[in-house]
Formats: sequence, C-alpha cells, structure tokens
Amino acid sequence: MLRTAPWVALLSAMPLLAALAPPAAWAPARWNGTNPQSLDLVSGTPINCLLVNSYSSEFVARAAARGIVLLAVLKPGADPADPARQAIRAGLQGIVLEGDFPTGTAARVRDTLADAHAIVVELTSRARMPLGGLDPIIGTYQGVWPGIQVLENGAAKAAPSGSPWIDTNTGFVRSVRAWSPAAVWLGYLPPAHTVVTGERYEAAIADAEMAGARWILALDDDFSARLERGDAAALKNWRGMAQVLRFFESHPEWRALRSYGKLAVIEDRDDALLSGGILDMIAAKHTPTRAIPGQRLTPDALQGATMAVDVDAESLTPEQREMLKNFARAGGTVLTAPPGWKGQSALQPGQITLDKAELDRLNDIWHDVQTMTGRKNLGARLFNVSSMLSNVLGTDDGKQVVVELVNYSAYPIENVTVQVLGTFKHAQLITPEGIQKDLEVYVPDEGGTGVDIERVSACAAVRLD
Amino acid sequence: MTRREWIALISAAPLLKAAPGPDGAAEGAPAAPVAIARCASYDQDMTAPLAAMFDQLGGLDRMVRGKTVTIKLNMTGSPALRVDGRPPGVTHYVHPKLVGATAHLLGRAGARRIRFVESAWATSGPLEEYLLDSGWNVRQLLAAAPGVEFENTNALGKAKKYARFPVPGGGYVFPAYDLNHAYQDTDVFVSMAKLKNHGTCGVTLSMKNCFGMLPASIYGDDAGVDEPNESPTAGRSKIMHAGRRQPSRSAPAELDPSSSRAPGYRVPHIVADLVKSRPLDLEIVDGIESIAGGEGPWIQGVRRVQPGVLLAGLNPVSTDAVAAAVMGYNPRAVRGAAPFRNCENTLLLAERHGVGSADLRRIDVRGVPIAGALYRYDT
Repeated sequence: MLRTAPWVALLSAMPLLAALAPPAAWAPARWNGTNPQSLDLVSGTPINCLLVNSYSSEFVARAAARGIVLLAVLKPGADPADPARQAIRAGLQGIVLEGDFPTGTAARVRDTLADAHAIVVELTSRARMPLGGLDPIIGTYQGVWPGIQVLENGAAKAAPSGSPWIDTNTGFVRSVRAWSPAAVWLGYLPPAHTVVTGERYEAAIADAEMAGARWILALDDDFSARLERGDAAALKNWRGMAQVLRFFESHPEWRALRSYGKLAVIEDRDDALLSGGILDMIAAKHTPTRAIPGQRLTPDALQGATMAVDVDAESLTPEQREMLKNFARAGGTVLTAPPGWKGQSALQPGQITLDKAELDRLNDIWHDVQTMTGRKNLGARLFNVSSMLSNVLGTDDGKQVVVELVNYSAYPIENVTVQVLGTFKHAQLITPEGIQKDLEVYVPDEGGTGVDIERVSACAAVRLD
Repeated sequence: MTRREWIALISAAPLLKAAPGPDGAAEGAPAAPVAIARCASYDQDMTAPLAAMFDQLGGLDRMVRGKTVTIKLNMTGSPALRVDGRPPGVTHYVHPKLVGATAHLLGRAGARRIRFVESAWATSGPLEEYLLDSGWNVRQLLAAAPGVEFENTNALGKAKKYARFPVPGGGYVFPAYDLNHAYQDTDVFVSMAKLKNHGTCGVTLSMKNCFGMLPASIYGDDAGVDEPNESPTAGRSKIMHAGRRQPSRSAPAELDPSSSRAPGYRVPHIVADLVKSRPLDLEIVDGIESIAGGEGPWIQGVRRVQPGVLLAGLNPVSTDAVAAAVMGYNPRAVRGAAPFRNCENTLLLAERHGVGSADLRRIDVRGVPIAGALYRYDT
C-alpha cells in the first residue's frame, strides 16, 4: 500500500507525520549519538530529518517536539524486519535500508510496517536504484566526493576542456531525475583519513542541491567531535554549511524548473549511473544539458532542443531512431556515437566512474561534441568559471531563467560573466550570505542577455526575468 | 651571492662580470633608458606611477598621438589553470588594472586606436571571451579609452592573410615568421609582460612575451601541414620548443633542421629572431605581484611573490636587462649560471642580433634605482 498510495493520503491518515514536512521536503543528515542536546545544533537549520544508528526515548521525544523526522538506519546482515518494527514502536517515523539487501527485502519490510504507515527509504548501490518506481525518496550510498581533483603532486588534474577536473555527482543526479520524480538522496560519506574543510562540506551540499538532489549530510569523526564540544571553528563551519543548505532549501521552486539547455544527451541506464561520463564532461564546459533516458525518448523530450547526442544508438528502438531522424530533418543536429564504441564489459558491482579504457573511448565522443557545440550558446555561456559547475534552469514558458553556480575551489571567484539565450530585463544575484542584488543586464555582441557577477564564494544564483 | 654583494655589484656596474659582447655587438647595440616605479599592490592607483614612468621616458604623446598602438599582453596558458586558485592577473598574467590604466593613458595621450592582442591559448575564438574567462571585465577595458579593441592573434583573425616578418640579416632559426596582421597594421608596438621566471628560458620578460605572437595555426602542435589550421587547439611545443616537426608549409621553414632540438637552445633563439623581425617601441613589465620559479601553474614549485615594482623602457633588451637585475640576476650571465641554467641567454642573443644592449653600464635607469627595487627571485 505504501508504495502505491499517494503521499497526501498517507499523511492525512497519520497524525504525527502530518505535522511534519512531506518526504520530498526532508533535508536529511546522519546523526551520531543520542544526546538530546545535540539537537540544538539542528535548530535554525533546514535539516529536518535525522538518520540515526541508535536512539533513546528522550532523544526521540525531543526530536518529535522539534518536528524532526527520525529514521533508523539498518544495514545488511540480520533480518531488518524486527529492528524496523522496534524503531517504529519507539516513535521513529521510518527506516533507511542502507546497503544491498537481498532482493525483496525492502518490499517485505514495507509490508511488515504497513500498518504503521512508516516510510522505508532504500539507499542502494547506484546499479540497484529503483528508477521509475513510486517511492517518494530514492537514494544511493555511493557517490564521488565533490571537489577539484588533485593529483599526487598537488596539481589540479585537467579535464579534456583544459579546466581543472571537478569530481561531481551532478551528471548522475540529472540522469536519475530524468528517470524519476522522486526526491534523490545521496548517502556517500566524507573521504576517510582526510582533513575535510568547511568549504569541501559546502561543496558537497551544493553539488547535490544544485542538481536537485540532497546529500545526506555526514560529518567526519573529527568534525563531529569538535562540533559536539563547541569548538568555535567547527561551529563556524557548521553555520556555513547550514547557510548553503538554507540557500537551496529556501528555493524549492528551483527543483521544479527544467533544463534551459538546447543540448539533449540521450543515454541508457548504465551510462546514467556513472559519474565522470559525458554529462559531467559537458557540464565542465558549462553547456546546459538535458538528460534523456533512451527508454524515454519521445518528441516531447526533444522539444526545444537544437542538438542531441545519442550516446548509445544501439539501445534505441527503430521508432526512436526514426524520432531522431525526424529531429534532424526538422533542423536539429544529431551526434551519434559510432557503433560498438562502448566497452563490452558490463558495469562492475561498486563501479560508479568510468575506467580508463572507457574514458579513452569516451574522449573521442567528447571531441566530437566539442566540435559540434563550439562557441554556440546552447542556453547559456559562462566565463571565468573553471573551478565551478553550473545549472541553468528555466520555466516552461521561458520567461524566467535561474543560473545556479557552485564554486569547488577554496577561494572566492571574482568577475564571473553569464550570457543567457533570450532577452531578459531584470537580473538578480542571490547568495547564501543573504545578498539579493539587482545586476545590470546588457546585450552581448552575439545577442542574448549578459550579466557580470562581482564575486562568488561557495555558491550563488542569478535569476533573470 | 649575498644581498650586500649584489647591491655592491649593481651599484658599481662597471665591475659586473659580464659576458663579452659577441663580435663586439654589445658595444654596438643601442641602449635606451628604463624607468622603474614602486607600486605595492593592484589596489593602488596605477595610473600615477605609469604616467610618471612614461614621462621619465620622454612622454607618451610624441609616441602615440594619432596612431594605432598594439599592445601584446602576456596571458600565457589556459585561463582555467590557476596558482593557488588565485586570479591569473596576480600570478602569471599581466593584471587587468594595469591594462586598463595603460589604455587610459594611451587614450589621454591621443592614441587613435588601442589594440590589445594575445595569442589565446588553444583557441582562435574572440580575445574578449578569453579575457572574460580570465576574470577580466571587458566592458570596463573598452570604456578605459576611445578606440580600444581586441584581437586574438593565435590565427588569421580579422585579416585575410598573414603578415610575413623577415629577420633582417637572417634569423637564428627561421628566416622569417608569419604572424597575425595586427603586428603589422600598427604604428606603435608595445610588449606588456610579467616579471617572471621561465621554465625554458630562465626569465620571461618583454622579449619572451613576444614568443606568444606566434600563431598556433601555423606553429602549434596541431597546425596544418600545408596550410594553417584556423582552429588550433594546442600549444607550440612540437614545432617551436622541440623542433619535432615543421610549421605549416605556407610559412618559411627552418634554416637548419639539423640544429639543436633542445628547447633551451631553440626558444631563446626564436625569441631573439622575433624581436629583431618585429621591433618593439615600448615595454611595460608588471612586477607588482607575480610568481617565481616558472611561468605558470603547470610548472612545479612556482610560488607567489610580491616585488611591488613596475618597469617601462624603450628598448626590449635594455628593459629586460634592468628587469632581470631587479629579479636579482646578472643579465649578462652565460648558460649554466642563474637564471639561464639550462638555456641560452635570450638577452645576449638579442644583443648579438643588434636589437639592444644588455649592458647595465650603458643603460640609464630612471626613477627608482635597481638597488631600491631589488627583489630576489632565487631565494
């Protein structure tokens, strides 16, 4: 019942959950320890859902009083049904099955908890994510730790574009969101044996949020300990993280916007589940892109696009191939990967990035894409953004565009230029620091609308009307 | 060498242990005055020290009034690559505020057209976009003076054909070089360089900056074999640094393909050829903030430095000699001595070409003396 019933009906049937935010609005964090006072840290932040490994009755009561959703995390090993029932009896609102459980486990746990109307969130490997299902939240425990990739000699690794390569989950999230309307949670942990700075945490939050997902905020042990004892530097970093989270969570309308890109990338499920693939390569060039699952290729999906990259032509049906031909006949440009370019080996368990051979093969496609896109404005062109990634979104009528920017470097970036397709009269800069500033709009030499941004710290957005 | 020893050295220039002038060229090559000014940071007004230096050199008006002035900027390497994440203008590029101040002064002095040029790394797209990618405010630069324009000289650009620059008297490596028209269609040619070390040439100053005039369409790694490739996407290491292939056949071929292929030999010789074939009228060297240990973030071990100086001169060899001295080097040092440990001394090669004198004894330094501006790049 839980998997098929609309959430509105569920919430109205459940007094406690009804008082809480709907699952799509849950901003999750992993929470260690059961000290009720630790919940004070969450006050004033958008975090409204805690994933806990243990709990006490006082902790549960205090969380409920603050309107915080508690989810018990269960891992593969013992049968999760009993601990799930115990958690719900203790007053938690649901459970998180984290890991790759035997097939059918989640459904069985849901049945077990059906009477309690508890929510069950699955954090699986990427390969096992239930894309296309009806769960309100889907998630994975896998992810790359976002940031500029640094080589052993301390230098930044260069991307094919000549820019520093930025590890990101945004391409993966875009693909998943193209499959499913569910809220997407990323449950990866900070890297072990590494000093993680506040800026890196902010980048991890923003990396997920910019693409419309949520990172399940997880602090490393050192940071957690310092935070718990009230260390001033840790508290400052915590406030910075909350500020970035609030920045995105206070604009839920951005999640409903669609890509403003004129470039469509059609890929199959295996490609969609990887990081560092064609979507991330194109994102490194700040070309706005719409991801289209091959299985969902329709004329509607291509509406408004002027270019399409068909990453895996062999997976398309004859009808879909005809669709692309029609797209080309109507003036669109189609780049089709050569037959057999993809590796013969299937995605390995645990694999979330391309291996070297696949990267080398993908580079050929990438060069073709670069040649095809060139200096064309396929929605927006951005300048001085080599340490950033961006997302360009628009309303269906094209009257409003939002350009989100995330800076993955430890330094603020000055003098960023954004040139958006279309004519807009007003532009406003919005930042996590609370700045809401009108920007001068101008017409660049090649048309469209241009704005200059003086400075971007962790992230920023420009809204054009 | 201790600081005291160096100050003594530059205060008593005749005692300098200089390389002898090859073929007596050092004595015959022209020397010109060089001005030095202090400028602690890019937050300071740069117009005043620049104007003072130009006045010390005889004034800009007589040089630029009613004329087209072309300024070769130093923006080496991809703008995406940064030192410590800092804007390239405070590390390895010339700073946009210095560019703006120069444009303003040129405009005030009556320049008819002020054309900023650079061979943008790995692209033939508009220079304006390269500037934007570097974090420069193009609209502010355009507003700095009437007649400001930009051209990317990495390919043919706005012209229909390349301009050929023969090296008078014959070149070291090539007899002539094919360049973008902007280097020909100008009355005044200016090199605006950064005060830096260079991985191949020891130092990169106003002359080495001119290596960037070479269009990658002809001299780049993916240059066309017969004709220029008007969409270059690479640097110039194969042809110009290592001599592993020849430039496009549309341009003159090397004089002696059996000559040394060592970059430390080739690049200094090519630079000397270039400044001989396309003479410079004015040099401006940005030493306010820079890097030491190399020319860009791709060189391991570069570090940020803040010498707080500006230099300007009317002869590139003289200007670079004074600039090298400000960096703590003997401008007449021979191969094997700092900073020319693995390369020829470009200054001496240009001197031998008769471009100018690297002899500090013959150069009139105006404004701040070398000893007062000294900032040792080798620590």
